[in-house]
Amino acid sequence: MPEPAGAANPENSVWRIAGRLKLVFLFAALAVLPYLLSYSQQEIAVLLVVNVLLVCSYRLMTLTGEWSLGHVVIMGVGAYASALLSKRLGMPVPVSMLAGGIVAAGTSAILSFPLFRMKGFYFLIGSFAAGEIIRLIWKRFTDPFGGPKGLKRIDAFPDIDTGFLSIDFYEPVNYYFLALVVVSASLFVLYRIERSRIGLTFHAIHWQDRLAESVGVDTFRYRTLAFVIASFFAGIAGGLYGHYVGAVNPTRFGVDQMVYVLVWAIVGGTATFHGPILGVVVLTVINEIVLRGLGLDTVRPLIYGAILILSVLYLPDGLESVGPRLRAWVQRRRAGPAAAGGGAA
Amino acid sequence: MVRKTLERKISRRKFLGTSAASGAALAATGTGLSRVSFAAGHTIKIGFLAPLTGPVSAWGKPGLDGCLIWADWVNAKGGVKIGGKSYKIEFVGYDNEYDAGKAKTGATKLIKEDGVKFIMMLGGDPWPGVEKIAAREGMLFSTLLPSDLSPDTKTLLAPCEVHPIYNVTGVEWLAENKKNLKTAAICAQDDSLGKPSVATYLAAFEAAGIKMVDAPLFFDPATTDFAPVMTKLLAKKPDILCLDTCYADYVHPLCEQAFQQGYKGQIISCTADFYQKIIEKTSKDFMEGFVFQFPDFDDPALNSKAVNFVKPNEFYAEYAKRYGAKEWGAVSWEYASIMDLWADAAAKAGSAEPGPVLKAMKAGGTGKHAFGDAKWWGKELFGIDNALVGNWPVVVIEGGKAKIKAFKSIPAWWDKHSKLMIKHMTALGQMWNQR
Repeated sequence: MPEPAGAANPENSVWRIAGRLKLVFLFAALAVLPYLLSYSQQEIAVLLVVNVLLVCSYRLMTLTGEWSLGHVVIMGVGAYASALLSKRLGMPVPVSMLAGGIVAAGTSAILSFPLFRMKGFYFLIGSFAAGEIIRLIWKRFTDPFGGPKGLKRIDAFPDIDTGFLSIDFYEPVNYYFLALVVVSASLFVLYRIERSRIGLTFHAIHWQDRLAESVGVDTFRYRTLAFVIASFFAGIAGGLYGHYVGAVNPTRFGVDQMVYVLVWAIVGGTATFHGPILGVVVLTVINEIVLRGLGLDTVRPLIYGAILILSVLYLPDGLESVGPRLRAWVQRRRAGPAAAGGGAA
Repeated sequence: MVRKTLERKISRRKFLGTSAASGAALAATGTGLSRVSFAAGHTIKIGFLAPLTGPVSAWGKPGLDGCLIWADWVNAKGGVKIGGKSYKIEFVGYDNEYDAGKAKTGATKLIKEDGVKFIMMLGGDPWPGVEKIAAREGMLFSTLLPSDLSPDTKTLLAPCEVHPIYNVTGVEWLAENKKNLKTAAICAQDDSLGKPSVATYLAAFEAAGIKMVDAPLFFDPATTDFAPVMTKLLAKKPDILCLDTCYADYVHPLCEQAFQQGYKGQIISCTADFYQKIIEKTSKDFMEGFVFQFPDFDDPALNSKAVNFVKPNEFYAEYAKRYGAKEWGAVSWEYASIMDLWADAAAKAGSAEPGPVLKAMKAGGTGKHAFGDAKWWGKELFGIDNALVGNWPVVVIEGGKAKIKAFKSIPAWWDKHSKLMIKHMTALGQMWNQR
């Protein structure tokens, strides 16, 4: 990538250092976090980290302007593939997780041929139909998919015991760090893709697909590429989930779960890389920790729905717009008295 | 103007101060409550890990409501006597949303943080997420779905509902009392509850000499339009329409569709939760003779000496008073009846710890099931004798009210037709060694 204009500017260097410092603080906070949580909250943190990867991979897909209703099913493809490869073929779990991602990506590559003959709303419905077909296959073929009950007793991630170092991945804190490493690496790759020439092309297809085609961009290939990359990481998320919980079934990857992913993305916002992360983190904390902690288990769907409606009404650009709005407000407040003072002088 | 008033009345400092005070008060209240419970020093916590929201909540939430009545009654009498001391019982609920991942988190919380001594579950899809924790922690669990049982988990019991095996009693009663019924059609949601139940009904129909007009119709759990399902079911004009173990969210629209499509024959179903609402949507005449397996507990037949459930009629009255009679469902009494067994076992063991309670509960190979004395059974079907099985009631709607018509023996049916059951369970891949 060419250096952006003004890269040599010292002010830019300061921003870059500030950005890196922020990352250091973020990782330090994430490293300390599980030790501040209760045991069950550590379990929630594991699932949250997995969902961060799911929703971020979904965002990459939306960069080309297409919203899918089959992304959770694709996560399921990764989970099922990884589970079956480790259970049936004895493949080591870390390898099977990677293979799960590849199978998910391959499935998407095949699906892209019929799906990308459609656009917009039609693609949305088409992706839903494709997802349902996959779920019905899982249900129909008890061997090897386990039918409606799915697969259980899926091999856990192997413990590490080197004599002086022993890590038991049954413990949520250990699995949290494993998931954090995998997800961080995945997010880095996703981030770099978005910032690359390929990512810029995704954006171009989103906003002006006809114009992009007129200058020689093969929109079908780029849409397929986004779909395949997003599916690979969704598949990895599926593997992380399946080997942690120990069970997968078709219901877990149904349209209900997909609605959650959409809600996370919409409430967080999809204009920035961190928008969906904000959405999944804030809503999971509210739903799983705050509302449960207040003993509101049975009315959570009601409150969750209310939050969604309120956020759409009052934060149409998502939670990611809160920071810029606050900054603008602070700047206006600062500028106000200064301007007034200047006027008096 | 409103904004100005608000600005005047609620300054930022005042808001923060009030929020902090409220938070502190809330925290203090929470802590205070805990202290009161622990100050008493003799409280045993029981976990309730079931779906309290979502489509399966009809088999979770009413059970927790029933347990709260059970706890109030037992605590009012001074609690459960264990080892010479009286202990109050406190239920700690966790909504697992019928999801294995959330059930795993919930089980962890209940065991590690709440310190429960026993966890009651609905079972089904969430169980595999909990299985490993149960084995590691040695925690005693109960399920309403014995298809969760396997020799791998010795601490999982099905002490109340041996679903779906008791469904054979309804078919047997129907064959004995309505001999003109010769054919049946069956549908079920395609999931872990639907399939074993279909296998059971197929075995029961075959044993009763009733022929199926078509292969079982499995519909997707996401189905919302039941018109085509019902049209297909009624196409070959069956004498009996069997709704299997459909969730309440399916039984209601299926009945509505059968009513709207002019069906006037016999209906049999495992459950008819909130059946008064079905009558409101259809008619009293349409629902007349509807056979299912879960009685209202105001039924005088439950006052029989053979029934072990404590004060069933009073329990129903209290439930109706607190939550409304229309909220009574299949599981309203079930978890409470499991608590009767647990309390008896804990008293006998002189301990609330899972190991001794399990041992006391299974002592002698028999137990006091809600509907009469029963035996621990299930090795052939589940690989382990951890299901308590005995008599089960057959319930029929008459004049808009559920009435127990008979108590029929599940072991007696099994002794005669076990091969049929194993055949159909195997065909649908539902035997314990196939799962």
